[in-house]
Amino acid sequence: MDAQLLLSGVIFGLSVGSIYFLMAIGLSLCFGLMRVISLDQLLYYSFGAYVTYSLSLASGSLWLGLLGGVIVAGLISFAVERFVFRRIYERELTFSMITSFGILIGGIGVIKAVWGVVPRPVPVPTLAQVDVLGTGVPVYRLAIVAIAILVYAGIWLFLNRTITGKAIRAGIEDVEHVEGLGINVSRLFTLTFIIAGTLSGLAGALHAPLIMVDPHMGLEVLAFAFMVVIIGGLGSIKGTLVSALIVGQIVSLGSLIYAPLAQMAPFAIMMLILLVKPTGLYGSPLLKK
Amino acid sequence: MARALHWWWGILLAFTLVALSRLVLPLPFITEVLIFSIYTIGCSFLLGRVGFISFGQPAYLAAGAYGTAFYLFYFGSNPYIGVLMGVLSGLAVSGLVGPLFVRLRSDYFALVNLALAVIIFYLMQKVLAGITKGDNGLWFLTNIASTPVLDIASPNGFFVFALIAAVAVWALYKYLDDTLFGACCLATKTNEDKLEFLGYSNYAIRLAAFIIANTTTALAGALYAVYLGFVSPEITSPARAADPVVVTILGGTGTLYGPLVGAVVYTGMKDVISQLIGNWELFIGFLLVFIMLAGEKGIWGTLQPRLARLLFRHRGSAGTTRDERPTR
Repeated sequence: MDAQLLLSGVIFGLSVGSIYFLMAIGLSLCFGLMRVISLDQLLYYSFGAYVTYSLSLASGSLWLGLLGGVIVAGLISFAVERFVFRRIYERELTFSMITSFGILIGGIGVIKAVWGVVPRPVPVPTLAQVDVLGTGVPVYRLAIVAIAILVYAGIWLFLNRTITGKAIRAGIEDVEHVEGLGINVSRLFTLTFIIAGTLSGLAGALHAPLIMVDPHMGLEVLAFAFMVVIIGGLGSIKGTLVSALIVGQIVSLGSLIYAPLAQMAPFAIMMLILLVKPTGLYGSPLLKK
Repeated sequence: MARALHWWWGILLAFTLVALSRLVLPLPFITEVLIFSIYTIGCSFLLGRVGFISFGQPAYLAAGAYGTAFYLFYFGSNPYIGVLMGVLSGLAVSGLVGPLFVRLRSDYFALVNLALAVIIFYLMQKVLAGITKGDNGLWFLTNIASTPVLDIASPNGFFVFALIAAVAVWALYKYLDDTLFGACCLATKTNEDKLEFLGYSNYAIRLAAFIIANTTTALAGALYAVYLGFVSPEITSPARAADPVVVTILGGTGTLYGPLVGAVVYTGMKDVISQLIGNWELFIGFLLVFIMLAGEKGIWGTLQPRLARLLFRHRGSAGTTRDERPTR
């Protein structure tokens, strides 16, 4: 394999991994703090992408559409948290999984009713390329990587440098103690859920120009989001980042070697890792409800 | 003798009702209900008895369907051997992934199982497109030969076959409920530490339950394949991964007849509603959320205690019998 192909493959993998990271972090945060598996994150991903499509078609600017997509995804996640998740935090894990799968399927029905079933293309904002070591690399892909790095830095600062963030981290360790300290846990849950939904929306909005938007896009990406979360370990942000990068590279470099490998190889890797460590790379064995 | 009859009458009554409904309801509907209930009982067993939520049932359904389809498309024409092949391939797939999956905590299990369904979908649609013909699917309706005694190539013969298969499956699960193994399954759901302490292996019990349930699901897949005469990756589509879970919860999780009641209601609704509104997913998604929030007992789970009270009030029984006792 020649070096240019390899380099563009690595960059492609980085951008794909960035999107997986943004998406999986919602799943991971929700599990870590609230002990729910929130499959509806994939719905906010789809909504983010669709709103981006509509707004960028109407206004001509993808960045405006992106902003709209992120805001709408955040609002929907807020509504879902208020009306549905409020009632199920106390229940067992499978309960949240079934309910959120219902929300995901129902939401796909809403998307089909509003936008139709035909896949739609979203224009890429800039076709410009920059020269990296003699290889032309699309600027948009680098922008995705940059945004993901900014988000990781932002999340890290939020969790480590603000009181609310520290409360969330403490909540991941032990919710009852945090509540005992007089912190409003319910508000903390809402906030975390909105952050998760917003980031999922951002992932969808960023992903939209690279693929076409279609009603089942959430389900198509579901397997990869799961693999990232499982390999990294549920509830660990650092693990999510590491495994998103791994999965991104496997998808990208795997497809350079043999196209169908892109879908199968991450699954094989996940199986291997689970065989050695059933809780994922950074998952704590103590995390048990 | 009376005791044996007592043991059997629930199953016999339920399936006599199904067979009699043949007189009033269209044949495709009842056949669909029978296959769907077999598909669901595996999921119901895993969720209600062993405590595993399985969104991955379509994976094993596909294993059964493709096992049958490959045999009937490429090798032979005897549908009985085809069904056997389907069941064996289901056994092989669940035996292969089972030892790995059941070691996982229930949350990881759910995620991994759903991921497996998605991967099998891609496998059948793209990677193995050379032998599965991708999205076009395998068509082998004309390959199925007529068989002596019970001709399952004909719709009526197939209905009888599906009925016999369903009775057999229900008898198996009824039997499992009454054995030590069934009790161990419930114990591994409620308190695995205590079960371990009593000297049983959680791992072995879960593995056996996993393989039994998923082989049942593969049987449903094999029946689908013979019934429809064609198989496409659509049957393992992630969009339909929720179907068995929805029917399980609709019927009543972990109850013996819940899957049957759920399948009747679900298939009926599907036929009626898809004629009224085209958007099936919207409906099923919100129905699922509604049932969960309204208190997850399901139709049979709500009906059963009332029926039991109604039927046995005169005998002075406390409302439950050996057959109809609450399942938890």
